[in-house]
This record gives sequence, C-alpha cells and structure tokens, in this order.
Amino acid sequence: MNKSLYTVATFVRINTKRYFRDRLAIFFTVIFPLIFLFVFGSLNSGSGNISFRVALLNQSNSTFANDFVKQAEDSGIFKINDEATTLDKAKDLMTKSQLDAAIVLPKDFGTVQPGQSVPSGQAEVIYTQNNAQSGTALSSVLESQFKAINAKLVTVQTPFTVKSEQLSQKSLSAFDYTFAGLLGFSIIGMGIFGPMNVFPELKKMGILRRLSTTPLKVWQYFLSTMIGQLIIGSVALAAMFAVAILVFHLKIVGNWLELAAFLGLGVVTILGIGLALGGWAQNERQAAPLSNIIVFPMMFLSGTFFPRYIMPEWLQNVSGFLPLTPIIDGIRLIATEGKHLWEIAPQLGLISIWLVVIYIIAFRVFRWE
Amino acid sequence: MVRMSAMIEVRDLKKRYGDKQAVDGISFTVKKGEIFGILGPNGAGKTTTLEMMETLRPIDSGEVIIDGVNVAKDPQKIKYLIGVQPQSPAFQDKTRLTEVIEMFAAAYGEKVDPMEFLRDVDLEEKAKSYVEDLSGGQKQRLSITTALVHGPKVFFLDEPTTGLDPQARRHLWELIEKVRDKGISVIMTTHYMDEAEILCDRIAIMDNGKIIAIDTPKNLIKALLNRGFKKKQEVEQANLEDVFIDLTGKGLRDE
Repeated sequence: MNKSLYTVATFVRINTKRYFRDRLAIFFTVIFPLIFLFVFGSLNSGSGNISFRVALLNQSNSTFANDFVKQAEDSGIFKINDEATTLDKAKDLMTKSQLDAAIVLPKDFGTVQPGQSVPSGQAEVIYTQNNAQSGTALSSVLESQFKAINAKLVTVQTPFTVKSEQLSQKSLSAFDYTFAGLLGFSIIGMGIFGPMNVFPELKKMGILRRLSTTPLKVWQYFLSTMIGQLIIGSVALAAMFAVAILVFHLKIVGNWLELAAFLGLGVVTILGIGLALGGWAQNERQAAPLSNIIVFPMMFLSGTFFPRYIMPEWLQNVSGFLPLTPIIDGIRLIATEGKHLWEIAPQLGLISIWLVVIYIIAFRVFRWE
Repeated sequence: MVRMSAMIEVRDLKKRYGDKQAVDGISFTVKKGEIFGILGPNGAGKTTTLEMMETLRPIDSGEVIIDGVNVAKDPQKIKYLIGVQPQSPAFQDKTRLTEVIEMFAAAYGEKVDPMEFLRDVDLEEKAKSYVEDLSGGQKQRLSITTALVHGPKVFFLDEPTTGLDPQARRHLWELIEKVRDKGISVIMTTHYMDEAEILCDRIAIMDNGKIIAIDTPKNLIKALLNRGFKKKQEVEQANLEDVFIDLTGKGLRDE
C-alpha cells in the first residue's frame, strides 16, 4: 500500500476504535439525535388522525342520550375530558386552549316528544373564537352523524349526494419533512460539534503540536478524520432510519444506494465546516462564539426542526443558499419522493460549490497549535 | 575534521518576538552520539531555540543544519531525522499503548512491532492499558519510545524529568544514556544541575538569548575553581538525595 495512505488507514482504524470505546461520544452522536427523533416524531404523528378534545355535558336521562355518549367515547374521534363536568368548567378550559369545544345534550335530548313516534333533540356545540375552526368542523361531524341516525329513524329520499374519491398518490406527511431535517441535525452534530470540541482540546494538550513534528500532513489528518466520520455517521444515520421506519412508519421510496451516496456527500461537506472551525480555533473560547454564529442560523433556517415552506418567501430564498439546505432537501427528494441523483442537480451543484469553498478555507486556516 | 563528526550545526541563530530578542545569535555544534544540554533560567531562550531546530517555529535569521539538511529549507526531510519529546507528553485517551506506537510509526509511513518499542522502555506489561492509566514517569517513557519509532538521528527532550520522583528520574537518565549509546545525538534542556552534571557530555548555558558558556560540565567547574571560587560550606561526602535513594532504593515506583 502507498505509504501516505497506510498512514491514513492506521489513523482511521485506531481513532474509530477509540470512538467506540467512548460512551459519551456515542451518546451524543447516536443516542442524542434519536431522542430528538422520538420527540418530533410523536409530535407529528399525532396530527395524522383528527381528534377533538371536548367536554361532553349530558343533561338528559334518555336511553338515546346515554347511547350517544357511549358511542362518542368509543368512536376515537372525540377525546372526552373527564374534568369538565359543568359548562363553567368547560368554558374555563376552553379559554386556556385545553379544550376545543363543549358538546351539550340538553334535558329533553333523545326523549320522544308528545305527538311524535321517534326520539328527537338538538345538541349544542359551544366553542370560543380561537377555536372557531375546530368548532365548525366538530359541528359538521356531529351533523353527519345525526344524518345517519335520522336516516335510520325516518326513511327519507336523498336525490342529491356527494361521492368523494381519494387519489392513490401519496402526499408528503409532516414527518417526511421532519425526518429529513432531523438527519440534517444529526449531520451537524457530528460534523461540526465533533471537531469543534475535539481539536481545541488536542491543541491545549499539545497533541497536535507533537504530531506536527512528524511528517504527517494536514490532508492526511483531514482525510482520516473524514473517513472516520463516514463510518460513525453511517452507524448514527442507520439508527435513525431504523427507528423512523420501524416506529414512525417512514416509507423510503427512493434508491438506497443513491441515498447513501448523497448522505455521504452531505456528511463530508458539513464536516468541512467543523474542520475549518476546530482547525482554526486555538482554544474553546475562540471556537464557541464562532460556531454559534454559524451553526444556529443554519440549524433554524435550513429546515432542521421545522420545514422551510412555513417561512416567508424572502427568508426561503435566503436560507436556500445555506449549505445544509440542499442537503436536507436532497435527502427528502431522494428518500420520500423517489427522485434520482440526476434529478436533483440544483442541490448537488450547490453542495459541490460549498464543498470546494469550505475545504479551501479549512486547509488555509488550519493550525497545529 | 571536526565538521565530519558534527550531527548538528547551529550558526548565528536569531528569533525576535515583538520587542524581545528571544534568541540572539547563538552558534554551537552537537556531535554524533553525545548528550548536549542547554541550561538557563526561565525566559533565556532555551525552548525557542529547540523549537526552531524542531521546525516548530520559523527562523528569523541564521541557520540550523541537521545531518547536512537545512531546517528552514527542507523541514519535511528534517522531520524524518528528528524525534521530539515535548515538555509534558500527552496522548489521546482511550488509546492503548500499542496503538499509540502504531500511530506514531504510521505518521512516518512505517509499520513496526509495538512490543519491541515498549520493551525498550520497560512498558511491555502495560501494552494493553489505556494511556490515561499511566503514571507521569510511564508517560515520559512512552513518549520517549514514540519519538524513536522511526529511527531518528537526533533526539530532542524539553525538561524531561520535571515533576518526577527521584527513582523515575534515575530510570529516565538510564534510558537517555541508552539512546545516546545507539549513536543518536541527544539535545535536552533542564533546570536540574545534578541532572546536567551526571547526564550531559557537554552543556551550553544560555541567558538573555545568548550562549554565555559552552563546554563539558567538568571543564566548566574546573574553570570556575580556577577563577578562585570557594563554596561557603564545606563539601559533604553525601547529600540528601543520596540519603533518600539509600533509604528507598533505586527500584522504580509506578503507583
């Protein structure tokens, strides 16, 4: 083997072993992003099936009313709050946004009125201004349920009906966006915070200085760090994919090989930022403020924790040029939209430009002490 | 003829930091296989001199030639010729001793048998330990052997025995003598005069960036006595360190 590459291979082998002996490092690169995945994943998966948080105030004793309450409890559409037993209490909870609406079944609800053969009644839906949307939605849900009941009680003709059809095409769920963003978060964590914490420490202890008295070259040191990062990164990202697929039912429609190659490119690009920052900083005090200036805007503007489409247009335009943005977009385009690498040329182009710029800077500013 | 046996030649070496002339035109030669000590109070310019010779600091003017290679002109080639022992050796944690040696050898593109180098410094029993479990003296010994993995011709040590107990110091002296006996030129700085007297073949005394005396320890002492110097106290036949070593033995303690 080429001598220079033997150097790199040995550094990769020993440093990777070292990494897997360090429980704290494993926690921060593998476990920590998984915690975020669980938190954001469960936040998003809840919005999939609509349920209303309601107070159900049944003032009637009729069998019909009692059956209705029982059905409502079992239906899963309503999350019935047990605390709200009076209208006042329900109103209080609604103003605190802990309830969407209150359903009141009045005293005569479900009783058979004199001169009629079937039970009747009017349910009231009470909601506050802030909850107008869920209030009207709830009203129409109830209306359609009553319509079904009415049809059973009284035969009616329905000349006009609506038939709705769902398209088989799958649209992106909120989780698809979140997952790509969380992968981006994990890549930042490894690629930037890793070298940023480690390099200044190695400089303080004089370890890099000692290495600089050997013929070891900066590119060999960078390359060995890069390969090590790709190994650790594949473990961390694979764990995230496993959880997303098994727990949150993420469907990967794209090509796995293309996805892996693209993720590798993303990891290497972002690592360059960490190498530049950590390689430049002489101590932690120099590293911390600079990394905050660079990392936090990227974390919030590139779509790590919430999707960019909710931002105003001008901000979307600006944040589109950050190095992490095309990485997160590209992951989503390949993984959940099934695009091929040649179809995401704009993203690849932007990443390549950043890759060159970042590594030129990293090599220029690197210091051994 | 003298030049033939000179491993290192330093000529009119200078270095300035701001207003301070840290190294002010020093010249000396170091022969093959000798231990050369650089002594002097703090701030005399010892470490700066060493760092310029080790390619760690740019040279303002003057030159350093090691085994015929100019340090300023070909630093990459110099790195294969020299081994460096820093003042306080440190290693990345969670690394086994064998791995430390493998990595340093790999930095020179070489593959070595780590056990052989650990045996040289009596650390073979610790081969599978992590570096953070070593004592100060053991770390110094590991550092010495890592500096020799590539077979250098010159070995630099910066205050190697600072903070070690008397047993560990003596042990380290033996190691340094062993290195010299392999024909390697050793250049070291120290604050301990007893160490310089016992260990160094020749010493240079620096002050304010200049070399103010250079000779063998014996000759320097003789010259002082010839100037009529008398110690105030009568010279004892033994000192406190002799008592300490007599009572506690020469055996190395590592715990």
